Amino acid sequence: MPLLKDEDQQFLREEFARKLAGPVKIVFFTQALDCMFCQPTEQIIRELLPLSDKLSLETHNFAPESEEAKRYGVDKIPAIVLAGKKDYGVKFYGIPAGFEFSTLVADILDVSRGETSFSPDARDKVRAIAKPVDIQVFVSPTCPYCPPAVRLAHMAAIENGLISAAMVESTEFQHLAHKYNVMGVPRTIMNETISLEGAPPEQLFVEKLLEAAQ
Amino acid sequence: MVDSQKYDIVVIGGGPAGLTAGLYAGRGGLRAAVVEKLMPGGLVANTERIDNYPGFPEGISGSDLAQKMQAQAAKFGAQFVSDEAMTIAAEPKSFIVTLASRAQLKAKALIIASGAYPRTLGVPGEKELLGKGVSYCAVCDGAFFRGQEVAVVGGGDSAVQEAVYLAGLCSKVTVIHRRSSLRAAESLQRVAFKNGKISFSWNKTVVAITGDKQVEGLRVMDKENMKEDVLPVSGVFIYVGYHPNSAVVKDLVRLDENGYIITDENLMSSAPGIFAAGDVRRKLVRQISGAVGDAATAAVAAQQYIENL
Ligand SMILES: Cc1cc2nc3c(=O)[nH]c(=O)nc-3n(C[C@H](O)[C@H](O)[C@H](O)COP(=O)(O)OP(=O)(O)OC[C@H]3O[C@@H](n4cnc5c(N)ncnc54)[C@H](O)[C@@H]3O)c2cc1C
Repeated sequence: MPLLKDEDQQFLREEFARKLAGPVKIVFFTQALDCMFCQPTEQIIRELLPLSDKLSLETHNFAPESEEAKRYGVDKIPAIVLAGKKDYGVKFYGIPAGFEFSTLVADILDVSRGETSFSPDARDKVRAIAKPVDIQVFVSPTCPYCPPAVRLAHMAAIENGLISAAMVESTEFQHLAHKYNVMGVPRTIMNETISLEGAPPEQLFVEKLLEAAQ
Repeated sequence: MVDSQKYDIVVIGGGPAGLTAGLYAGRGGLRAAVVEKLMPGGLVANTERIDNYPGFPEGISGSDLAQKMQAQAAKFGAQFVSDEAMTIAAEPKSFIVTLASRAQLKAKALIIASGAYPRTLGVPGEKELLGKGVSYCAVCDGAFFRGQEVAVVGGGDSAVQEAVYLAGLCSKVTVIHRRSSLRAAESLQRVAFKNGKISFSWNKTVVAITGDKQVEGLRVMDKENMKEDVLPVSGVFIYVGYHPNSAVVKDLVRLDENGYIITDENLMSSAPGIFAAGDVRRKLVRQISGAVGDAATAAVAAQQYIENL
């Protein structure tokens, strides 16, 4: 059964036609066995692909130490990397379903332009960061407050090559949720040291990012 | 200065009221923008199940209803702006809305549909343990407490409804209420009383939420004998009412003592051209059906206002 209804497909087709600037490559890491959400994640991607000829798919069988996994910094599956003119370090670990589907679509649009909707002030501050920051945003698909948190992280990655950012679906990666003591979502972890609860306003997010880059 | 985009109506908030206002304005042939800072759907999006919205006799999940409302508004041409309205400036016969991204929207009329946000208990431990066992959204965080004991604070519809949802995941749910009876609808109460996993702790107030790295329990006080007790739980879900999101118009329109926008029968506020719809408005019942009804009135009244400018 298709996940996207006819009218949703139509809506997205028009949205992509209007707003996709350049090509976006969806790099998908998967595995045939022992990955409950790989197949449904692939289905989401396969339904998106035909909606614009600017979208392409590159699928890799996941092996932790493989060349590709290393190149994209992917360490678990299912994983989606969105690449535009370059690899911006925008990742999704776990299925981008429920509310996170809207994050995936908004990210595709940003990656195609290589631009984000940060306010000018926030953008300047993010671009000026000179140390690597790795961001993980823990979410659940039923959380309406999660997409804004993931979007901020992904936007930061798009603006600055030293920043990489991943959505992490908590129920699929329980060991990580446990490791980082996630008991509520969204929860943003920067460089393993700084954490943020809830959907932060842009200004607070940028403050914490600067702190993480100290 | 950023060029401002011109609209007939700018709607602030994309919950049921805002989406309906967008639908009516779009259908009325007006150029309308709906500004939403989080996700379209508002509070509905974080509600597990809705059983009292007409047209869905089997009930409908909050996120499904939110998506349907958004699709319907989009179909009639409402534009969505994913941003936060920060300030509003009144000019002769128009308003300028400045967004967090600094972009500006110009409109002949505004519909404020910014709803309300959950009230906090204001007790020690609540802020410190947010995201570590303290939650205001059961559908977001319930799964982290699978098989564990949790508490729900409150006695209204939301509290009881979400307690029932949590009972499907957790081993035990204690509803803590400061009165000796619930305010929730009869039918909801019946479902909750029948559920073997839900128990009720009456006439109790929460004094503190305890725990170091995560919630370990609640200190509750009996309102009659003032005795304190400890309830060991690993999660606490708080549903004790709401505060209106009216800060953005507080200097422009009359608010009641609790911050709700006061409107006339056509839902215009004290400022000509600024209308209000949904939970942000002073009224008796705050429900989805009321929010969409408000929005229909406000959109039509706003259109008439614009035509008479
Ligand atoms: C747990 C729970 C269960 C419920 N169950 C039911 C039920 O079963 N049936 C029922 O009828 N009702 C139910 N309700 C009540 C119902 O959700 C509300 O009455 C309804 O959502 C009100 O709609 P609204 O559009 O006025 O406001 P909201 O739904 O609160 O939407 C307001 C929107 O405005 C946005 N916003 C606020 N300020 C700004 C700004 N400055 N800029 C941009 N955006 C802004 C917010 O992010 C929000 O999305 C429930 C509520 C809760 C919390």
